[in-house]
Amino acid sequence: MSQGPDPATLALMAEARAQFAAALTAKATTLVEILGRRAWDDARRAAHRLRGSAGTYGFAEVGAAAASLEEGLLEAGGAPSPEVVARLEALAREVQAAADRAAGAAP
Amino acid sequence: MRDRTTDPDAEARADARSVFEVGRVIGGTYEIRALLGAGGMGEVYEAHDRTLNRRVALKVVRPSIADDYLLREGRALAAIRHPGIVTVHAMGREDDVPFLVLERVQGLSLDRMIEERRARGEPFGIGEALDLLVACADALAVVHRAGLAHRDVKPANVMLAPGGRVVLMDFGLVLPDADRAGRRTVAGSLHYMAPEALTGDVAEGAMHLVDVYALGVLAYELLTGADAFEESDPPALYRAKTRAIPRASDRRPDVPAPLDALVSQMMAPDAHDRPQGAEAVLWQLRTLRTRHAAGGQPRPFSVLVVDDDPDVREALALYVRSAAPDADIEVTGDGRQAVRSVRRRVPDLLLLDLDLPDINGIEVCMLLRGMQLGDACMIVSVSGRATRADVELLQQLGVRSLEKGPALATELVQLVQRMRPGR
Repeated sequence: MSQGPDPATLALMAEARAQFAAALTAKATTLVEILGRRAWDDARRAAHRLRGSAGTYGFAEVGAAAASLEEGLLEAGGAPSPEVVARLEALAREVQAAADRAAGAAP
Repeated sequence: MRDRTTDPDAEARADARSVFEVGRVIGGTYEIRALLGAGGMGEVYEAHDRTLNRRVALKVVRPSIADDYLLREGRALAAIRHPGIVTVHAMGREDDVPFLVLERVQGLSLDRMIEERRARGEPFGIGEALDLLVACADALAVVHRAGLAHRDVKPANVMLAPGGRVVLMDFGLVLPDADRAGRRTVAGSLHYMAPEALTGDVAEGAMHLVDVYALGVLAYELLTGADAFEESDPPALYRAKTRAIPRASDRRPDVPAPLDALVSQMMAPDAHDRPQGAEAVLWQLRTLRTRHAAGGQPRPFSVLVVDDDPDVREALALYVRSAAPDADIEVTGDGRQAVRSVRRRVPDLLLLDLDLPDINGIEVCMLLRGMQLGDACMIVSVSGRATRADVELLQQLGVRSLEKGPALATELVQLVQRMRPGR
């Protein structure tokens, strides 16, 4: 009958997760930089990827923050107003903070 | 084979006379030619459609059966279009008797075929049985994808038509999988009913697993020519079904071990332990058929991972390998490359991101389905932002959806394990 991964596999998964966590802060920093360049489409794609990869590795908070930023960028379209830009930057800071927390908490 | 269908109103029926006599014209169009069959629920006639000049089947239910019985069947059939599902033409009412006009499927029912083979001492060949089971599971998967449960899967309701066509019939007990009242109703054919269906205790959203159980009993009978359970009264039958799982190989040692395991798994007393739908059964049967055709040699479990994020590709490959260490895993970040790869070799499992840079995952699925390339492989979308509409569209394409989230690793590992019984 179906069951979860065995202990050896779980250890391997934990190692992969730790590696991903170690790179999380850099990924979030890159995302903030892309947003700072006002490269909206690249930022949306970076947010989307972080949303997916963080979710896949089980970093739900980072995934949710990246999802909010991605949705915000989708709603903003190609030429967001200064108010919207400020909101997007705030969302990006939340992603950064969540990534820092995840990286710090990961074993 | 035991195939009498029971339902809550069964005891109330007293009228044994035919509802319509031969020669009568129903609805000004359908001339009754012959009574094809009569059961507890109603009757099926062969009729001639005078307008379109074709043979049809005309179904009525006995007066004691609720009016919505036929309507439910008619609507369910109208929602599904598949060669393995009998086609509905029309619905009408004559002298306050509702009737359903169906495609007249010529052929032999599977229970008759099993009886004949048994009488001749010629069991179905393994390849022949796999072909029939694949066709049954394919039809049932379409029903499940439509959000329905058939609830009366049995050899008598499978017709073997000319040209190798296998048709699932009699949708009289069909209900939406999520129907709350239906899962508490004891209905079906006792011998094929899952334990939870015998006690009217089907879990919410799990009615399709009753069909999986019935398909398991059907598979057992097809392979062995014998009844899966000897008991006939409901309490004894319930005890038998929950006490031990029959193994086809006990009666027929040449049944391949993975097929034997799958058939037994389908008859697991606990619905959670069965394959979680006809789609999963279908995929496994197709793999077994391919392997059987290749002389029984298993080929490596092959997986294609399509995601534009290398981190996700790596994680998915890791999860797959944890359940299938010998898996042959190919990865790509490109939808077009994925299609090319499947054209070159159809993998057993395709894990597909929906949001890809060139063509998106749904387009990839449509391309594969259009080219009939994805039929032999299980396609699973793995996405972080699939909408409800995306998921519904994917379901129609026969694609299962997983979410990129904390449960993904476990869900994927379990999925791969279910896909590889006996490997």
